[in-house]
Amino acid sequence: VPSGLFLGDAAARLRASVVAIVDDAHGSGRGRGAGRGGHGAGFAWGGGDGGGGDLFVTSAHVVSSRRAVVVTPDGRAVPGTVVGRDVDRDLALLHAPGARVAAVTCGDPYTLRPGALVFAVGHPLGVKDAVSVGVFQAVGAVPRGYGMAEQRPRRGRSPFIPWVQADIRLAPGNSGGPIADVEGNVIGVAAMIVSGLALAVPAPDLERLLSNA
Amino acid sequence: VTDSRSNIAALSDQLADAVAAGSASVVAVHARPRLPSTGVHWKDGVVVTTEGTVRQEEDITVTLPDGRPIVATFAGRDRGTDLAVLRIPPGSLSVAELGDPAVLRPGNLVLALGRLDAGGARAAFGAVSATGGKWRAWKGGEIDRWLQSDLTIYPGFGGGPLVDATGQIHGINSGALSRPLATTIPVATVDRVVAQLLERGYVPRGWIGAAMQPVRYDEGGGLLLVSIEKDTPAAKAGLLLGDVIVAIDGKSLESFDQLLDVLSDDSVGRKVSLDVVRAGKQRAIEVVIGERPRGRGRR
Repeated sequence: VPSGLFLGDAAARLRASVVAIVDDAHGSGRGRGAGRGGHGAGFAWGGGDGGGGDLFVTSAHVVSSRRAVVVTPDGRAVPGTVVGRDVDRDLALLHAPGARVAAVTCGDPYTLRPGALVFAVGHPLGVKDAVSVGVFQAVGAVPRGYGMAEQRPRRGRSPFIPWVQADIRLAPGNSGGPIADVEGNVIGVAAMIVSGLALAVPAPDLERLLSNA
Repeated sequence: VTDSRSNIAALSDQLADAVAAGSASVVAVHARPRLPSTGVHWKDGVVVTTEGTVRQEEDITVTLPDGRPIVATFAGRDRGTDLAVLRIPPGSLSVAELGDPAVLRPGNLVLALGRLDAGGARAAFGAVSATGGKWRAWKGGEIDRWLQSDLTIYPGFGGGPLVDATGQIHGINSGALSRPLATTIPVATVDRVVAQLLERGYVPRGWIGAAMQPVRYDEGGGLLLVSIEKDTPAAKAGLLLGDVIVAIDGKSLESFDQLLDVLSDDSVGRKVSLDVVRAGKQRAIEVVIGERPRGRGRR
């Protein structure tokens, strides 16, 4: 069986860009969650001009303080600083000098058709760099009746802004990690699970959101 | 692009093609507050959805694949198989391309389709988990094939189709018939129930008007009559309280299901011969199966 029948190549490529984010406020060495390999996921972001492999995208709810530790794919723990945050879109940008992780390439969820294969890389329940496979459903507002507060949405949880929606089984620890198409191009940043549905911030919004952040 | 990379991309394309083909006959059904459900344009002018998602029988609209809302009229429901039928103007959209669920084997890739609004079809992906023969749903309906899949029936996906990798529709997914796997009501069952619902708005169920309790009798089983209602087939046939049914149509009784099978769809008007033990003596009593009064045991 040719290996390319599965997602092996694309997943290996994307995993080389995915990091674990350990929030400083939670403490990295003691207490609840210590040594679990991170409270969230993130990925190296090239932005417009490369970024040098030291900039990382994650979810705002993963990094509650100014500082966080970035655990690189080769296992180095690199201290980082939050340099941008958009709570309404649940995004954060971290700078971890010297991390030098290969940046992801971005894809466009608006060109995907429902049923197209997609996959997530993250650390669900602490399982490091796990790949979860599913299919793309939609990009847009979350359907009525899916249990997202419509009257007074919490910050970062409005059902009416565009979300990448995918049939992928995610878990805590996937937050901030990428969701990608079959080529491994990132189409969104995993943010939450609503009625079992994976919601992600659309990749095309990242450039704009992160430059404003 | 290497050969190996194009393989997985081709599979992805094929799944998206299957969603596009299958969803051409899939509509959103607005027959309850807030959360819509999904429906399939099963025959021209006829939309099928799940019974449990139809909470109102008036003011029903459906959203077509092109996003247009149109009015639908309620045609009938069957709680036993969890199916409901609506009518829409003929020629509104393409008719479902039906497959043969008998060809599906555990491990085959399948998709569940949903449509919730004008925003396009949605899909959940998985594999057939288990297949088998006839079974009876806990709500009483007879389902022609056991067809369960490992995929997520998201809110509003109930009433939507299970499609294979070519987009052919193999049945209607129900969130209500069993859990945790997704259960599909196969094409043959949908065809049968749709025909009956279009004809009279409900599925007639056989009924004799007696309540029974399983008991042991000699080596085998029996059904002890514990209540008989007036003017029912059981009363007319002369069955009495305390009679023990030990055989149905000459077959000795092994399970309660035997009686349910005799009373299954299109049994109304048929004669059934019961071997009954009364005061230690066995005798044969013929009962003409009646139609279960409507509104009884429903909702």
